[in-house]
Amino acid sequence: METKNWIKLEFPSETVNVAFARTAIALFAAQLDLTLDELEDIKVAVSEAVSNSVIHGYQNNLGTIIVQASYGNGQLQIVVEDFGQGIPDIELAKETGYTTIPQERMGLGLTFIYEYMDDVVLTSQVNQGTKVTMKKNVPNQES
Amino acid sequence: MQYSIKVVGQALITTLQGELDLHTSPQFKADIAAKMEAYPDIKHLIFDVKNMSFIDSSGLGVILGRYREIQPRGGKMYFVQANPQIKRVLQVSGLHKISEFVNSSQEVLDRV
Repeated sequence: METKNWIKLEFPSETVNVAFARTAIALFAAQLDLTLDELEDIKVAVSEAVSNSVIHGYQNNLGTIIVQASYGNGQLQIVVEDFGQGIPDIELAKETGYTTIPQERMGLGLTFIYEYMDDVVLTSQVNQGTKVTMKKNVPNQES
Repeated sequence: MQYSIKVVGQALITTLQGELDLHTSPQFKADIAAKMEAYPDIKHLIFDVKNMSFIDSSGLGVILGRYREIQPRGGKMYFVQANPQIKRVLQVSGLHKISEFVNSSQEVLDRV
């Protein structure tokens, strides 16, 4: 992807930063020719990915989350990365309704990310961290 | 995030304003759970989401948790004036199958 523009955010895994991250990324994405619905999709996907890092990656302990966004060649790419405990079984984690804390969570975070974005790659290593790379097609974008 | 929770007959009417996510949902969960504990006869849940601008799975989890309490009582769940984003999230989550989209709280109160 030939990158036309990019941003990088780095912040502690405080719950209050979930709204900051999704709003900042939506503002960045608003530079592109996206509909309001598509911007809302992006907000939900970022919210879920960052929430996952806070709850699962760091299990509500403090750690660092990095969110990067870039666009070019008709695609917006967003990467959400933590350096927490990682996911032992990615395929299991991707199943709708699967959660490690069923009393509190619906197990829908990854389902929303896959539903709302056009391409998602999830990589994780136990005790190393998790990285979610998600892409949204922006067909009307010249760049 | 602002909200008000009131009881009318057997209905709990919650009016939400702002964004319901990982940060705002714990307090909301505590308040709505306390209200439901104080009124154990509550059968129907009405969420006025006309002025709610955002919800994700953290917020949906709180709503589903409350639905699980009223379900054994034969209760129902309603969403008042959900915007397209809220509707879509409810649809993707499957919550639309166990709830109804309505135009006003009064419309529900007239029925139940």
